[in-house]
Amino acid sequence: MMILITGGSGCGKSFFAEQLCMKQPGQKYYLAAMQPYGEEGEARIRRHRAMREGKGFETVERYTDYASLKLPARCTALLECIANLTANEMFGPDGSVTDPVERVLNGVSAVSKQCEMLIVITNDVGGDGVRYEASTDAYIHAIGQINAVLAERADTVIEMVAGIPLILKGQLKGF
Amino acid sequence: MILVLGGVGAGKKAYVNSLGYEDADFTSDPNDRKPVFAGLDAYIRENPTDPEELLRALVKKDVVICAEVGSGVIPLERADRVYRETVGRLCVRLAKEATAVVRLVAGIPVVIKGNV
Repeated sequence: MMILITGGSGCGKSFFAEQLCMKQPGQKYYLAAMQPYGEEGEARIRRHRAMREGKGFETVERYTDYASLKLPARCTALLECIANLTANEMFGPDGSVTDPVERVLNGVSAVSKQCEMLIVITNDVGGDGVRYEASTDAYIHAIGQINAVLAERADTVIEMVAGIPLILKGQLKGF
Repeated sequence: MILVLGGVGAGKKAYVNSLGYEDADFTSDPNDRKPVFAGLDAYIRENPTDPEELLRALVKKDVVICAEVGSGVIPLERADRVYRETVGRLCVRLAKEATAVVRLVAGIPVVIKGNV
């Protein structure tokens, strides 16, 4: 099954997703799409690592091309997050910009097929009412499109608000 | 304590008025004795404070109002990113302490924790 979790900055998405994973038996993988840019990025990654410590996750750092990712066995996986993955697929290190939608969706699909449960964390980036330059605008639209397709494919969709899970689609047993 | 959330202009203040609080009951000073603390988001932006101390003051209020500021594109400025995350994390903790959490969507109060 697939669970999609959305929500703003600092609303408790990661913590909640980990709690869900902890309820699952078997091997757990943390699929990290965030590249450790700079001191702040490293601090965020450290914070997430500390949160996962002792929870039995194996971390797989993977910034692009989830379509070819092979997980060793059927498992529970937590993919964090669509905003980072989309940026990685869209903006090349050489300054090139390509449409990321298909690659992100195919990647999530490929991972999902290998999982008993896949939890995907995303963000609602279209909500600040600011006009950006063209490539950022395209990025916002791409994430919106990706979120809509993932929500359709997901069994359960949750929006986190101040640490409270709001169920937008499907069910969540035990919560 | 009731935590009232929602976007800018979503109807948070009007909702709190509808609970029976008058404008004179509102304050933006956490240590004031008035029962409604309004504008936690702006307070955090303008006053670099110890979150623990702020939390202790706010849990004594009847109502705490905070705009949701964590959506949208990750800001370019570090201070803006830290601000968004600080507001978000403080709201998580306030929500835990709150007897009720109400989120305003287009003027509609959606109770997401407890009863009002």
